[in-house]
Amino acid sequence: MAPKRKKVEVEEEEARAQVEVEEEDEEEEELAFSRNYFLAKEVGSASGKRSAARKVSEINLVDEQLLRASLSELPTKHEKEIGSLLESYKGLYSNWLFELRCGFGLLMYGFGSKKAFLEDFASSTLTSYTVVVINGYLASVNLKQVMTTIAEILWEHYKCKAKISTGKKQQTQLPNGLKSVDDIVTFIVDISDDCNCSVCLLIHNIDGPALRDPDSQQHLARVSCCSCICLVASIDHVNAPLLWDKKMAYTQFKWSWHHVPTFVPYKVEGLFNPLILFSSGHVQTTKTALVVLQSLTPNAQSVFRVLAEFQLANEKEEGMHVSELYTKCREQFLVSSQVTLNAHLTEFKDHKLVKMRRHSDGQDCLHIPLPTNALEKLLQELV
Amino acid sequence: MAKHQSSPQSASSQGANSQDANHTLEPFFVLHKAQPQATVVEKVSKSRKGRKKGIESSPKSPEKSKRTTSDEQPSNTLYEQWRFKAFNEIWSLIQSSIEGVLRDINLKLFNEVLQWIEDSFSEIKSNVKLSSSEILQPYPLLADTLCRKIPTAFVLTKNAEYVDDIQTFCDLGSHLKANRCHVANMSALDFSLKFGIGGSVRSLLRQLHSEPLDGKIADMLTLAKWYCEEENNDKPIVVMIDDMECCNADVLGNFITMLSEWVMKIPIFFIMGVATTIEAPKNMLPSDALQHLNPCKLTLGTPSDRMNSLVESVLVEVCYCFSLGHEVSVFLRNYFLRHDGTITSFISALKLACSKHFSLESVSFLGLYMLDQDSEERWSEKFVYLPESMKRCILNLHSCKSEKNLQGGVGSIVQQLSDLKASQRFWSSVVLCLFEVARYSKMQFLDIFCEATDPKMYCMNGSENILKKHFRCGDKNSTARSSSGVGSITRVIHTIREMPVAALSNLLDKWNNHTEEMTEINEEVKKLQSVLASVDEGKVYEENLHNIRNRKSVSVISGKGNSANEKVAMLLDAMIRKYMKPLECMTLHEIICFRDVDVLQSGLIGDPRKTIQLDLLKCHSYLSCSCCSSDAKNLSPSMHDTSIMYKLAQEFGDVINLYEWYQSFKTVLTSSSQTSRKRGCPSPASKKAKPLPPSETEALIQARFCGAVTELQISGLLRMPTKRRPDFIQRIAFGL
Repeated sequence: MAPKRKKVEVEEEEARAQVEVEEEDEEEEELAFSRNYFLAKEVGSASGKRSAARKVSEINLVDEQLLRASLSELPTKHEKEIGSLLESYKGLYSNWLFELRCGFGLLMYGFGSKKAFLEDFASSTLTSYTVVVINGYLASVNLKQVMTTIAEILWEHYKCKAKISTGKKQQTQLPNGLKSVDDIVTFIVDISDDCNCSVCLLIHNIDGPALRDPDSQQHLARVSCCSCICLVASIDHVNAPLLWDKKMAYTQFKWSWHHVPTFVPYKVEGLFNPLILFSSGHVQTTKTALVVLQSLTPNAQSVFRVLAEFQLANEKEEGMHVSELYTKCREQFLVSSQVTLNAHLTEFKDHKLVKMRRHSDGQDCLHIPLPTNALEKLLQELV
Repeated sequence: MAKHQSSPQSASSQGANSQDANHTLEPFFVLHKAQPQATVVEKVSKSRKGRKKGIESSPKSPEKSKRTTSDEQPSNTLYEQWRFKAFNEIWSLIQSSIEGVLRDINLKLFNEVLQWIEDSFSEIKSNVKLSSSEILQPYPLLADTLCRKIPTAFVLTKNAEYVDDIQTFCDLGSHLKANRCHVANMSALDFSLKFGIGGSVRSLLRQLHSEPLDGKIADMLTLAKWYCEEENNDKPIVVMIDDMECCNADVLGNFITMLSEWVMKIPIFFIMGVATTIEAPKNMLPSDALQHLNPCKLTLGTPSDRMNSLVESVLVEVCYCFSLGHEVSVFLRNYFLRHDGTITSFISALKLACSKHFSLESVSFLGLYMLDQDSEERWSEKFVYLPESMKRCILNLHSCKSEKNLQGGVGSIVQQLSDLKASQRFWSSVVLCLFEVARYSKMQFLDIFCEATDPKMYCMNGSENILKKHFRCGDKNSTARSSSGVGSITRVIHTIREMPVAALSNLLDKWNNHTEEMTEINEEVKKLQSVLASVDEGKVYEENLHNIRNRKSVSVISGKGNSANEKVAMLLDAMIRKYMKPLECMTLHEIICFRDVDVLQSGLIGDPRKTIQLDLLKCHSYLSCSCCSSDAKNLSPSMHDTSIMYKLAQEFGDVINLYEWYQSFKTVLTSSSQTSRKRGCPSPASKKAKPLPPSETEALIQARFCGAVTELQISGLLRMPTKRRPDFIQRIAFGL
């Protein structure tokens, strides 16, 4: 019975290893095809040198909290120059208003946060408009709520007008009865011609995470066509124009592009982005590995230690043979049988503490997927 | 939910306050409501405008203009309103002209479609007569599948981009509605997999019902009930799909099959736009849906035909109040030919040019009076109220600087404006004559238009005639030049020489209409007409015309001597030299001529991919600081962090090793700050770094590094590390 089970386990391991190798190959392939032949060659040579490439973990990272604190208090470079750059844009406010009134949508692009200065433009120049600001950089934007608010504003004006000239389109239902975003947008389009108010939608990052899906863009495009609604939007992503087809760009949004680099830090826009030095995995993996190991039995911890010490002592080796590990663990009275060792190994593999590799000699070997310094740190903390 | 902020104070001035801090994390909020006062001010000034009151009455009371920083601002607002009014009137004129042209060009097709619908409808009516109760019964279905075919017109749009056809289908819809048809204008969005066939039927019902559905179930029975109503009955229902190939094939197939079940009860017709070939529906639709269609093929005009009509009516006939400079014309021509070839993009570019002209040219409002019969009176009236500053604006226009006559005062300016108007009329008459020949030889009007607006061409014309120039260049050369838009006029003249007598006679008839305002030319045209009438077929006209110059060279090369064709060509040449003066050669042309091609290009084509990279690589050109080097290759610690990082990233290949990138960044920040400290020139970075302990300096550098990577990620210039490759970042944009 036991050999059969063992055979099944080995087959499973082989299959998993195969999948891992395939995944890696796919990624290589993707990279290679991502650009032309010559650059693919370059990637090939880069991947060849990868073993010698330096790791992020080699950077002497400061504490994450300290780094976040420093980031929030980071002084802005060229504050004066940025101020005068923004001041120079104020001279264009009247031209922008002119274009809005001509029926164009303003699309602001260029490096730097445009949030503050666009709101300044809206506050100082668009006084005859009701301005609704959408913070598109937030993933929590709910377009239905936005559309409901716009519908409410228009409905308010529509009702006032209907009071004056009675008997006109009395059958139009209240926005409260509308169910889907599509219904609300249709409602807005229907009543917009009869509203004598002007609403300006100011969208920070129309290419933001919550708005970049085709449906949201379609809804915004339909709303932007309404006679009483105009649009001022900003984009930051270099590929943002791909969001719109020709119908949307020319007949609905009717963009007039304006290049307005501000060089103001993207403080709010990048608030929820992970910090690159802490998201790469090593720091997190060491911490999580420690948590997992501490929850295991002392014997299991010792088995891991045997494997880790072997790996530290033989950095050039591809990994430790299972049989070798078994022998060493048995010598130290950590395991009594292969089954016990396998139970430990399954636990390690489930938590991705250990990976199975095919050794160049054809045998399976075990490997801990952590860089040397991270492994050393882990062993120190495991005591 | 949204918070309503009552006072619209400057957002930037209150950037630090808590309300703004809350607003940054709110998904959306109402910044301010429309101020009634602002609308009132606008209305007051509009009414002033209506009464033609002058500038004396325009300055507002100090209470009303709280935001003004100088006395000139209220009057600037007034001029802006005048310019806006001028834009509105002129653009509505251009737009109505565009709509008219496009409607006329499609009218033949529209009538064809209408005829087809009427014929099919009367055929159905003669075969089947059902009562309301029979229509409302969902069963029994008609067994004969042949009877269940929906008459379908596939309209070949000959356009890879369907954006131009949206308006055509809208116009077709209005045309059919006006001729007793129910019309539903549907698009690919109504046939999406997401909403399925339910969405399609709902959309169809929504368009047919004049009232909202109010919770009614969207099914065929609702449609049948609606059709049974007295006012809806006895009319065909036309379902138009402008971009059939973009629809989901399964949903459209099901929709067709479902409608086919009802086709004998409710007379439904399909009109589908097909962008590629007539084979497309066969390849796309499932066979069971296809068998329910009774196809008919119709074809739309080509974009180049439409473009020719647009150029003729919009750019040449309506050019007195707004016109395009040569560079802008060439840009628009290339934009049409090389960008996407759609009329829609051309029209939107034209509108943007128009709005930019009226927004940026302070005295452009004067162009509005070009439209009036009594332009001179209107200008004189206007100039009485214009302040000195505005008059100075006019005299400072580039074309006026060399003009000494203008110093004479208002009268001379008005005279110049009248000359400008007359010159434009003559110019457009000659260009229309050229177009008549181009129509015969199927040339592109836009090429001729571009050449006719070229001021250099006019300067050359002054010294030698076009025929001579043409022959000197030789045919080979002129053909080569014609492909780039140069030499089109010479080709037009060459065409005349090869025209048969009948075509020439037709041409002269049309010229007779176009040249009514140019008496001298008109007389010549009439003479030529009478001569042509007296000439028998094949007989060569041998009478000499006094004003033909360089006869020898012409006759030697053409080999036709003094034929009627030659004389017509000579006449055209004379017309061009005398009357086709490009607008840019005229004084005060800036008032009606838009020439700023860079402004138009940047407003039309954003190209953020290139521009954002350039922002980062050349940040000094925007910030113009004294602390950083203007040399793009030099890196100094005072530079913008993201700019340093992006410049460093240029040294890597497809992937960037994070460790190496960080070390390079750190080196730039630290080593250079040390050298700058030695030099005694403090930079912002060194000032901050000096008093800090090493760990905090390290934290600061790491924070700057993380911040810069985040900014590059927001710009879309980097792809974040994968789990498998945690130490590498992938670059996305390469080259500019």
